[in-house]
Amino acid sequence: MSVPPVTLRRVFWRCLFLQAAWNRRGMQNLGFAYAIDPALRRLYADPGKRSEALRRHLATFNCHPYTAAAIVGGAIHHEERVAAGEEPAGAPLAYKQVLQGPLAAVGDGFFWAGLRPFFGVLAAVGTLLLGWPALVASLLVYNALHFWLRWTFFRAGYRTGDEVVVRFAALSLPSWASRLRDGGAVLCGVAAGVMALAAVGRLGPGAGALVLLAAAAGIVALGLRARLLPTAYAALGLGTVVGVMAQVFRGGK
Amino acid sequence: MDYLVVAVVAGLAAVERKGFLQAMLSRPVALAPIVGLALGDLRGGLLLGPPLELLWLGAVNMGASLPPNEALGTAAIAAAAVLSGQALGTGVTPAVAALAILLAGMLATLGRTTDRAIEEWNVRLAARAELLLDRGSPAAAVRENLYGMVLPFAVSALLAPAVAAVAVQIIPAVLREFPTLNSPLGWGWTALVGLAAAAGARAFRSARGIGLFAGAAAATFAAGWLVGGSR
Repeated sequence: MSVPPVTLRRVFWRCLFLQAAWNRRGMQNLGFAYAIDPALRRLYADPGKRSEALRRHLATFNCHPYTAAAIVGGAIHHEERVAAGEEPAGAPLAYKQVLQGPLAAVGDGFFWAGLRPFFGVLAAVGTLLLGWPALVASLLVYNALHFWLRWTFFRAGYRTGDEVVVRFAALSLPSWASRLRDGGAVLCGVAAGVMALAAVGRLGPGAGALVLLAAAAGIVALGLRARLLPTAYAALGLGTVVGVMAQVFRGGK
Repeated sequence: MDYLVVAVVAGLAAVERKGFLQAMLSRPVALAPIVGLALGDLRGGLLLGPPLELLWLGAVNMGASLPPNEALGTAAIAAAAVLSGQALGTGVTPAVAALAILLAGMLATLGRTTDRAIEEWNVRLAARAELLLDRGSPAAAVRENLYGMVLPFAVSALLAPAVAAVAVQIIPAVLREFPTLNSPLGWGWTALVGLAAAAGARAFRSARGIGLFAGAAAATFAAGWLVGGSR
């Protein structure tokens, strides 16, 4: 017996709530059980068997919320075989345990350290240069891309089961992440340049120099593992002192 | 009424940030304009969004680690700045933005502590789900997952407007009492945005990132300067 497409879509929708009750003991366990439940209901007409299946999905689970869609899909793939008596009941759990670590690493590296910050800076630079339309466009492109990937992962996991690893490898996400990180650093530089030019327009050439100086000092300080918020307050305070001096200097003239 | 709006937006952002969707709507670059729009000052929100995004670009929830709660910080900062700007009749100026970050920025750090407490609290939901399953109520068991979004919503809906309300009492009073501070605080804001760009570049952890960042900053500034100078 296979899970009908409408139920698969329902499971995918529920994957968006994977971290709703993230907890220190089972992490995304409750979210996983919530997501896969409609499929289990279809596969196990006997309430006892459904509860038993649900119980194995309440085991500790933690993965990247986007790439976890592949594991939810793959777990349904295995549950179909368990329900048909082709696999032992532990197969879906073993599948989850094997894949959660590697897919978490891929998801963190590509989405959290690459794609999302890249689009964050793109949206920031776009907003600085063009205003809200650029912000909206950046968010639309990011979400079109990320939802398409989430759905693709889910479908690939469901259709191919263990072979989903091959699909992930074919996407070369780590090398894309490296390019996105380089591109993001460039966009941060563009943002610094744009903000420096805006400061020149507002307060004069000295303010533009201050933006670039603060950026350089920030690179050094944060490289020395200075804490972010205290460093931000220090920049704010020192910049204000420079502003007082500029005011005094102008008043003296 | 304004604070009720802030509460709802901050609460929804807290849910979107981790519990549901994660579509960048709770990132500072989107959330600050949303708060601004909700309070009737989109332009003010757009002034705050880009530097806050750059500043907290590295605030990412990887594995079991917890970053500062940038959504909570942003909601409070944006609300404080927009409402103070409206009280002063100036809108969000760099001086207002600087004071808002000074007064409400720490909420992001406090947010990390509340996030930790929520994750501890959610252990009870998981335990309750197991109990309900034992009692033969699988539908009720999995529904416990949805209750996990209640506490993040409530915490942010309480803290963001509360901190914004305190800041709104202070910021207009300071700038009315000491109007000469406007220009120096504008310079302070200028230094802060420079630091924010650096924090953004650092967040990418690219081997060539610092060189690329410096080159792009210099090239953009020089190009803008040349284009501006030639006009």
